[in-house]
Amino acid sequence: MTATSAIISDDNAPVIAVSDAGIRFRRNRRSRRNFKDLFSRKHRRTRPGEFWALRNVSFTVRAGEAIGVVGRNGQGKSTLLKLVAEVILADEGHVHVGAGVAPLIEITGGFVDDLTVRDNVYLTAGLHGMKRSEIDARFGEIIDFAEIGDFLDTPYKHLSSGMKVRIAFAVISRLEEPILLVDEVLAVGDKAFREKCYRRIEELLAGGRTLFFVSHNERDLKRFCTRGLYLDKGSLVLDAPIGDVLARYNAEYGTP
Amino acid sequence: MTSLAPQTPAWTPFARYRHSLWLLTRRDLRVRYSTSALGYVWSILDPLVMAGIYWFVFTQVFQRPVGEEPYIVFLLTALLPWMWFNGAVSDCTRAYLREAKLIRSTKIPRTIWVNRLVLSKGIEFIASLPVLALFAISTGASLGWESLLFPLGVLLQTILLVGVGLIVAPLVVFFRDLERAVKLALRFLFYASPIIYGLADLPEGLGFWAAFNPLSGIFSIYRSAFFPGQLDWFAVGMSAIVSLLLLGLGMLIFSRTERAVLKEI
Repeated sequence: MTATSAIISDDNAPVIAVSDAGIRFRRNRRSRRNFKDLFSRKHRRTRPGEFWALRNVSFTVRAGEAIGVVGRNGQGKSTLLKLVAEVILADEGHVHVGAGVAPLIEITGGFVDDLTVRDNVYLTAGLHGMKRSEIDARFGEIIDFAEIGDFLDTPYKHLSSGMKVRIAFAVISRLEEPILLVDEVLAVGDKAFREKCYRRIEELLAGGRTLFFVSHNERDLKRFCTRGLYLDKGSLVLDAPIGDVLARYNAEYGTP
Repeated sequence: MTSLAPQTPAWTPFARYRHSLWLLTRRDLRVRYSTSALGYVWSILDPLVMAGIYWFVFTQVFQRPVGEEPYIVFLLTALLPWMWFNGAVSDCTRAYLREAKLIRSTKIPRTIWVNRLVLSKGIEFIASLPVLALFAISTGASLGWESLLFPLGVLLQTILLVGVGLIVAPLVVFFRDLERAVKLALRFLFYASPIIYGLADLPEGLGFWAAFNPLSGIFSIYRSAFFPGQLDWFAVGMSAIVSLLLLGLGMLIFSRTERAVLKEI
């Protein structure tokens, strides 16, 4: 059922290794929860009111691979991305990420409304592990990319929502991390900026980054990715070259 | 520039932790001071007003002698650290909820969300000490060798706060009611701790039990700087034990609930 691919014949060790990973969520917030459940370590049993968002997912990613995650809404794509970003933890199995990650997930999350754009850039880049000197060196680049040079000392809350996303993308995409995770964040922003973001991603890919990309857009997937992961009903159905994965997805869910 | 630039000397996990902790703490302080006109004054106004009220009630209205003279210095030596305790614990109830967006997008060690609150409130505490000094000088209170114990008090209070924070912060995520319960408990604790009175003022027998409140020992250390008689080594020992136990419990609860917290927020 899982066709392991060997598209990239790079012989270095995997940078991402997910083995038998599963994560469980509660169906609704109100379902009963008691102290005992809270403190039990990983438990395999599914309790009423819970469902597995992902289960028995295994794959490895080698450095430099570009992976597209395909599936309908609610089939666990974003959850998988978050597991790889290690912002949520698996209930069973293991997720091993051997290198730094630049997560383009909820990119505006670290920005503080009351601080200026300048302070925010230093804060967010710093939290993602950049040193002050590195930020100093890239500050100009970041601001140029976001095209908001006139707003450096404006409080973040006074920016338009487009500008907010632009500056956030500019910061995260400047992180010198070997793995890049992209959720459908880029759906926002105007067309010109989106194209700019995509060019930046291509640039990063050409520089040897590993890409993990979640999207519904077939064109984007084909543009960046070589390998696809097809998620359906919480499990990994197909792991194959992106063309095959998209073909199967379209066959099953009849997108033209 | 597009190539995988070799990272300038990589972070050790500890350096990374310290760096993030410091960034967030500075952010807290900067936000607080950039959004209010009075800034620093606020962090000392609250204890000052409270000290003023208690000073009036206990020295002007009632004549019943509690504590020691000068009473205003006696009050402030416990009120200022109480503000640290109170502020840090009540902020910890929202430690995860307020930062949910940031927690969902970065993987920095999750204990930071508690520790930075303890740290930023601690810095405000240190910053409020000049007020105490001012009153001490104007009332002529004299400093004893016991003031050298001050770092011990800070250390114990930090341990205690991190412990309590690690217990409170994750539990509030699951039981929102706890936020109000904590507020209530803090109000109770204010009167149950030797702040407006000293340990020695308690009725016979109660003093022993009061020592189980870790704040008793900690405040007795701070107080002994001006009032050597307030130092109670039994209470200090108890508070060290209780604080360490709470820290252990906090670390246990934190590690057991971490994955559930991340799903919930």
